[in-house]
Amino acid sequence: MMMMMRRRRSEWRLVRACSRTLTLTLTLGPSRPISSGEAGGSGGGAAVKKVTRWNFAEALEGLRARVREADFVAVDLEMTGVTTAPWRDAFEFDRPDVRYLKLRDSARSFAVVQLGVCPFRWHAATSSFRAHPHNFYIFPRKELPIDGPSYEFLCQTTSMDFLAKYQFDFNTCINEGISYLSRAQEIEALRKLRPQYEDSSAAPSHTFEELGDIPIVSTADLLFTERMKNRFTEWREGILRSPSEDSSEESLKFSTVQFQTVFFKMRPAIMLNGFSSHQLKLIQLILRKHFKDLLYVRTVGEDGTWQKRVVYTDSEEDKASLLKEVQEDATRSTVSRVRSAVGFRHVIDLLASEQKLIVGHNCLLDIAHIYNKFIGPLPSSMAEFVLAVHEIFPYVVDTKHLLNSSQGIQYFMKKKSKSLSSAFSLLCPAVSSPSKNFGTSSHVKVEVESDEAGSSCFSSGAKHEAGYDAFMTGCVFAQICCHLGVNFELLSPSANLTKIDRLAPYINLLYPAWNSGTVINLSTGTEKPEPGYKRNYPPVVFSKVILVWGFPSKLKPKDLKESICKVFGPDSVTSIFFIDSTAALIQLSKEEFVNDFLLLKDTLERKDDAISVLHPLSVLLEGGNTRAGNYDTYRDICAASASKFLFADQADAVGTTCKRKLDFGSRDSAGSSETTEVETISPDVKRLEGLKPDPKKQSSRPLSCEDILDSLYASKSLLGKRMRSA
Amino acid sequence: MAASGGGGGGVAARRRFCGAAKQITKSNLAAALGEIESRVRGCDFVAVASRRTGDSSSSSSGAGDRRRWRRVLGADTAETAYLKAKRAAESFELLQLAVCPFRLRGSKVLAFPYNFHLFPRDELNMGMPSYSFSCQTSFLTSMAREGFDFNLCVYDGLSYLSRVQESMSRERIPIPHVGRLSSSSSPPSTRSSVADSIFMGRVKSRVEHWRKAAKEPSNAAEGSLVKSLRKLILGGDEYGSRPCLIIDVCSDHQVQLALEAVSHISDELVPIVVPEKGGEPTAVRVVLTSSEDDKNLLMAEIQKMEDEQNLKVRGFREVIDLISSSQKPIISYNCMHDFTFIHSKFLGPLPPTEHEFMCSLRMAFNNVIDVGHLLKEIGPLRRAKNIPSALSYLKRRFFVPVDLEIPFGDENGEKSDGHDVLRLVRLFAKLNHLLKITPDCQTQPGDQSTQIEDYSNVFYPTYTSVQEHEDEENIGVGVNTNVRKVSTENLVFLWGFGETSANDLKHRLKGYHVLFSEEFELRLADNTCAVVVFFRPGAAEELLREIGSGSASAENMASEGLKAAGFEAYKKVCILGLWDADLADSLESVLAEPTSDHAAVPAEVLWSGELMLDINDLLES
Repeated sequence: MMMMMRRRRSEWRLVRACSRTLTLTLTLGPSRPISSGEAGGSGGGAAVKKVTRWNFAEALEGLRARVREADFVAVDLEMTGVTTAPWRDAFEFDRPDVRYLKLRDSARSFAVVQLGVCPFRWHAATSSFRAHPHNFYIFPRKELPIDGPSYEFLCQTTSMDFLAKYQFDFNTCINEGISYLSRAQEIEALRKLRPQYEDSSAAPSHTFEELGDIPIVSTADLLFTERMKNRFTEWREGILRSPSEDSSEESLKFSTVQFQTVFFKMRPAIMLNGFSSHQLKLIQLILRKHFKDLLYVRTVGEDGTWQKRVVYTDSEEDKASLLKEVQEDATRSTVSRVRSAVGFRHVIDLLASEQKLIVGHNCLLDIAHIYNKFIGPLPSSMAEFVLAVHEIFPYVVDTKHLLNSSQGIQYFMKKKSKSLSSAFSLLCPAVSSPSKNFGTSSHVKVEVESDEAGSSCFSSGAKHEAGYDAFMTGCVFAQICCHLGVNFELLSPSANLTKIDRLAPYINLLYPAWNSGTVINLSTGTEKPEPGYKRNYPPVVFSKVILVWGFPSKLKPKDLKESICKVFGPDSVTSIFFIDSTAALIQLSKEEFVNDFLLLKDTLERKDDAISVLHPLSVLLEGGNTRAGNYDTYRDICAASASKFLFADQADAVGTTCKRKLDFGSRDSAGSSETTEVETISPDVKRLEGLKPDPKKQSSRPLSCEDILDSLYASKSLLGKRMRSA
Repeated sequence: MAASGGGGGGVAARRRFCGAAKQITKSNLAAALGEIESRVRGCDFVAVASRRTGDSSSSSSGAGDRRRWRRVLGADTAETAYLKAKRAAESFELLQLAVCPFRLRGSKVLAFPYNFHLFPRDELNMGMPSYSFSCQTSFLTSMAREGFDFNLCVYDGLSYLSRVQESMSRERIPIPHVGRLSSSSSPPSTRSSVADSIFMGRVKSRVEHWRKAAKEPSNAAEGSLVKSLRKLILGGDEYGSRPCLIIDVCSDHQVQLALEAVSHISDELVPIVVPEKGGEPTAVRVVLTSSEDDKNLLMAEIQKMEDEQNLKVRGFREVIDLISSSQKPIISYNCMHDFTFIHSKFLGPLPPTEHEFMCSLRMAFNNVIDVGHLLKEIGPLRRAKNIPSALSYLKRRFFVPVDLEIPFGDENGEKSDGHDVLRLVRLFAKLNHLLKITPDCQTQPGDQSTQIEDYSNVFYPTYTSVQEHEDEENIGVGVNTNVRKVSTENLVFLWGFGETSANDLKHRLKGYHVLFSEEFELRLADNTCAVVVFFRPGAAEELLREIGSGSASAENMASEGLKAAGFEAYKKVCILGLWDADLADSLESVLAEPTSDHAAVPAEVLWSGELMLDINDLLES
């Protein structure tokens, strides 16, 4: 790793050296027009500003000005994962609500580790865009002493491997990543921290009484109380004696070995370190009972931990004024600490308040992450989510959608892969590989600006680094605008890109998933099929779909089809899709078959006679773990937060939660969904029964010799444990 | 480099521990394996300590977790504590496992610490060893503070497959192996059909014909054309430098037939079964060896190839297997946590109950010693919350000289990784001395010392507390004042009280029901749910009954929205694994389940005033 870092740095030095000479010859000031050929190197990178928590404040100030004057801002994210389980992958035929649940699950589960922000501004003098790529390292650190959101996130191993492959620096991320609070968390933090400071720093009467009845039950507590009482008395007397007396000073030192005498707000004080919370309570009790002029004060230290002190006050008035001071301090520091804990969200607030055009590449998941991390919990439906996003970011444009939907670009791309990097190298050859000479007319020039002063935090960007990806996205967007006939030369400096007629039809249209075949409109919340999308599957009629899981693993699609067709007729199965090895969605030819199937399955399972064993459906039910439901069951399982690797395990785990919701919720559900309820409940009930110590069941099971030995051994050790602890 | 004296890792000691452990990653495992094996074989004990991305124990860092009831609480029995450890092991990942084989000779300890960097890599593209894992940011930040190198871990960490995963992968990633006639089923010849005997006959004649031709002294002058023609006609091929013949097969049955046919021909022939993806065999390669020695050589070659392939698949698990097969006693501080991780990552999925877990674990590791449990043997140490505090207590109270020698040089520079395990070794050496435990190999007849077996396989559920008590008084006095045994029958889980502190709630409860005027203790399990312990047997039952029947005296509570459940409901929550909600919600959903009538077996929990956290503790951390 060190080797790599060093390599990168020297590479950068080379680039910088190059740039300086070129700057001299071209006399272009501090900006480095990379379109004319020097930033290439092996990575073809651009100077990307690396922002960690050490230079965040300064970078944020710089960025404010850049964003304010920008024509558009490109954004890109790196996450710790995409899907929490294989069955959570987006499938082409997912119903829109299920698709959203999958998106939401991903955004809720994984962490954002890097966020690239790159403002672009048209520079009329040089007829080029100026870009300022920023690469923010982000890590959700717990910075406030309150219960945060879940400070737990998932990592998908393949994504981590992917990040490692592109030399993502995990150490920088975890050590130096910028933390954040979402808007919702900030409000919560202010609400929670404020009263807490007020209660605890002061001594309101109710706490006094409450503490009054801590029973001093043990002799240890009694001893501790006495000892502390003596120490406080000694310490207090030491203070009251004139400090000029040498002998008393000595005795002061001597008697307060455990006490570190400090000054707090111009008053003598003791730091209380290394006491348990129980002991601290006892100390408060002692102070209130015996020392009217000693006050227990709790404040938040610079390192964010609680500092507990005992402070000496001269008089009642002095005491009151100290209390007031402490309280005011606390409020002030709460506000400022919460503000600083907001951290990276300031960047998002900046983007939102400036209402600039946000450019992303296939960016709905990115936006969901931004919403979840920096705004608040994701709403329960796509429509709500989309409209909430629209309020915050009124103009969003997706380069992936632009690439797919504009005919001219389609022709130009010639069916090449529409990944960001291939679009970048195809559309912006002048930027991506500047060494070659291209005709200048059709290519938008992009310069990357870097200030010489803070150059140590610049690195030559590389693919799949958020800052550089944002830069590429912006370049691709500028180039597409050019192909669409947007003439930047003719734009007035104050012109708003979002108001340009040629661009307007593409703004706020995003893909709900890469393979949905639809486009969602952020401003209206409506979803429409995308023209020209080639479907791999025929459209699915969701009311005709059954979900089956937990069937014998040896069953292949054709076995499933055969078994169902034998019951419902040769053409009853329209299509079968395996979600994973344990579950399948089956579309039947008629809607009523769904209910029939579920009822039949239920009856077969209840009976245990020869007829049901010989029934064609028994192939599917073999093993007794087969469950089924309709498409809504599938949605409910997708809505659950837990993610087991196998769908069947997930479905079983969700069982109880599902049932609870149905119990409290809709009573008016139709017959078919009631059957579903029964089905979803049963796995857990069964599982539970299996776990219960049922003596009959156990004795009927043949015990191997090993089992018996094991249980003997275990009981011996358990017995030993009990005896020892007795 | 001997580091003597105690000390909870003072600066000097830490310096000395720096670089003491050998760091093992992807690049040097294969080379180090032999050495590790001999160290493990030659030692008395093996100490292990792990670094994880999260945990179920309550540590100061876990306070940020909203669902903090998922940590081990004072109200947990061994069973529910296991279920919590299970959840943690299944969701979090091991990033480092320090393994330290050591020898104990009186006060002299000879230790060979190795530090294995781990990262689950989906090398076979099958979602194994793990598809995704969870991280607690607080764990990562505190590891980062200690200088943990995450890049080393993700870039170069060793991957692995558990035993169960390996057998699953075998089906999909075939490895050619020496074919052996299966002895379990009756030999195919006894029940051979006509088709079978024709198949065998054909194989036999083909192999004999080919063997004869291959044994003929080959003509050196033979041109390449002739060579390839010969190959074409005879179907022969080369296996390394040896001639071989490929027999196509399409089932296990045919493999057995072919093996039998070959076995009757000559001892010089070595059949190798070549399986395909999916586990089905596709061919048997018959290799002709020139002599007995040559045959042994070939077998060794194949064995070596198999070993290499195994190492690739098993990765770090080779080390686990090696420790397991050595049967050495294993020393760990936090066994329940470490071994639920070890079991789920390297052996197989965790069983649903603690008992089954202990049985299953014993198959692989029959002698595990929990230092946390040993600490309980020395009264005052009972409250030591971690290894450093136990060490510092021992240092003050007892003179137990331990001379720790690490023969590895100081070659690895400024790495502090791995000193946890050395502290553990040091602590164990001291306890061992105090408790006079002797390892098997050193027992003499008539010895008064305790057998190591008396301490093994007893896991003490460990709680890591918020504060570290370095203070003498804290450990010395009041050993039995705070911890008492409470039957689970005396526990009541209460929820529906809104946001409050434990003290506040306790106060309020007194007004709700007459039973709360009795002596009881109360702790918050999380923001939504409190655990109440009644000291009079039967009081809890009484309360639950009154609430359940909706009697007039419980009306007050009901109208306040308070709900209650007994320990069984809590246990059910743990069994069902409803970890993702607040405890109140989970209890609620369990109560909504149809009740099952089986007699609950009361168990005991070690209720400790210190162990359960109240809200202030959490805020202070």
